[in-house]
Amino acid sequence: MMHGWRGNLLAVGRGAAPFALILIAWALVTRANVLPAIFLPPPADVARTGWDMLKDGSLWTNIGASVGRVLVSLVISVPLAVGLGIFVGLRRRLSPVVEPIAGFFNSLSGIAWLPLAVTWFGLGWVSVTFIMFNTIFFLVFYNTLVGVRSVPRIFEHAVRTLGGSRRHIIFQVLIPGAMPNIVIGIRMSIGFGWRALIAAEMIATSTGLGFLIYNASNFHQTDTILVGIITIGILWLLTDRLVLQPIERWTVERWGLVSSSR
Amino acid sequence: MKASAMPVVAVLRHRSVVFLLVVAVAWGGWELFLVTTAPGRIDPALQTALRERAPLAVAITLRFAPENFHIRLFQSYGVVSGVQGTTVLVNRVSAEDLRRIARYYWVKRISPQSESVQ
Amino acid sequence: MERHWEIASTWVLILAATIAAWSLGAATLPVPDYFLPPPSAVLSAFLELIAKGMLPIFIAESLRRIVLAAFLGLFVGVPIGLLLGVSRATADFAYPVLNFFQSVSGIAWLPLMLIWFGFGERTILVAVNYTVLFPVIFNALLGIRSVPQIYVNALRTLGASRWRIVRDVLLPGALPNIAMGVRLGLAYGWRALIAAEMLVGANGLGFMIFNAQTFHLTSRIMLGMGIIGALWVALDYFLLRPLEEATIARWGMVQR
Repeated sequence: MMHGWRGNLLAVGRGAAPFALILIAWALVTRANVLPAIFLPPPADVARTGWDMLKDGSLWTNIGASVGRVLVSLVISVPLAVGLGIFVGLRRRLSPVVEPIAGFFNSLSGIAWLPLAVTWFGLGWVSVTFIMFNTIFFLVFYNTLVGVRSVPRIFEHAVRTLGGSRRHIIFQVLIPGAMPNIVIGIRMSIGFGWRALIAAEMIATSTGLGFLIYNASNFHQTDTILVGIITIGILWLLTDRLVLQPIERWTVERWGLVSSSR
Repeated sequence: MKASAMPVVAVLRHRSVVFLLVVAVAWGGWELFLVTTAPGRIDPALQTALRERAPLAVAITLRFAPENFHIRLFQSYGVVSGVQGTTVLVNRVSAEDLRRIARYYWVKRISPQSESVQ
Repeated sequence: MERHWEIASTWVLILAATIAAWSLGAATLPVPDYFLPPPSAVLSAFLELIAKGMLPIFIAESLRRIVLAAFLGLFVGVPIGLLLGVSRATADFAYPVLNFFQSVSGIAWLPLMLIWFGFGERTILVAVNYTVLFPVIFNALLGIRSVPQIYVNALRTLGASRWRIVRDVLLPGALPNIAMGVRLGLAYGWRALIAAEMLVGANGLGFMIFNAQTFHLTSRIMLGMGIIGALWVALDYFLLRPLEEATIARWGMVQR
């Protein structure tokens, strides 16, 4: 295993190789004129359109709209959901009842709320952000609730026998114990939320990456569609590398978790 | 998520398999019901026409005023030529498709178009 | 016994309070009628759509599509993932590609599919099957790769053939991840299905609630939402979760 800049370069090369292959295959297929250009434009056209969109800012505004909605929803929903999840999880009479209800709303989360949201808020960013709110909220709430409830009571008793107060129990037993579930909930909510966002932007608003690619299909601008798709993929890869993997590493270091699902 | 105290195979026997069995039996029973009640919905006057292969013009009477959903559904079986109250007039329906339409439990009656319908 | 009474009474209380508050809100809030139909309206919408034969058809159409995607995922996705995962070289090669294409959900491909196939069944099926397939392939690959090499070596020292190793070590070891991948793929797929049905607009539960919004039939929207959630809960509780828990209980997990 080579270290230093040579090792990094090799790793990047290995990661990029399959994509280079796909790019070459794509170029060859378009060269061979198997499909009309409207179905599959050559990579050069897509690159040029992408560059134009970067220069005139249209890509940035749409990226900003989508990412902004994700961030706003995360910042507001996650603390709310974690707080509420812990609050309900602590109540031994309430939590067994709320858990299946939360599970149901968890299953309902996402795009299924769109027609109702549009009825209430009309078309536009409010409806779309509402979808994101409730996707993230219910997922994190449910997982936090399950996490708190799954902490073995023996830990609670141990703290009590050592003379700990309720505050100690909450902050030193229940929250750390529920952390794996909370982190899983947050990770999943980003995955589900991002998907719900793209779908909602296609249907209910006029900014954002989802709208970009859906609108482009109405005008048969296939190269714009592909620019959008590639942007979505890259954004996700960045999120994965910059946000999700550090979170995973943090939980691995602290609580010995190895989770490999996405 | 509660861990089950029972052996794993017993859990499977109790939840998933039972679920699938119940679904299969209920579905099968329902289809049987539909198939047996279907002929009752077809007007006797159509029985002779059914044996011929020619496309038929029928009046399908429902128990309710048809919605867009039903018009589009019948459009896939033939050519919808009009709606009178709770009856939909459909032309060029094959005998095979007629029997399929008769299987819908929400269809009240299928009669020849020449009859005056309400 | 007392706990059960407590919990049951809490259930009744919450249910009654929800219905009461909902009905009260529907009656008194200063909003148009179609904003918040009372629970009674949702119930009558349920009865109406059954009497008109619409609800069973909508449900059947959506279920048909997700079941098809499940079969494709199981019988095509799992083998592909396993094949890719068996050798380290192919696994390392495929991993970034699968990660990338999995993150671009099927719905993002829908506009392209609209250009290719138009507004029809094929577009919906491609989007949903894509959404289900990639998590399944990805997790099957991870599953095989996560089997500790020491087990493979142990069998090798006992003289096992490659096939025996696959059958007795790699496959069972990958099963928990496979079950997880199927469950995740179908979770994404169910939601992608509803979105695709809204966008393509022909039939199915997604179409039902989207179409109802156009006519302000909010009770139908709420009914549809309830059914969409209930169907997933049923599928997950009766089929997917038991499968995942059974494989984890039997063959263990790396850690969870």
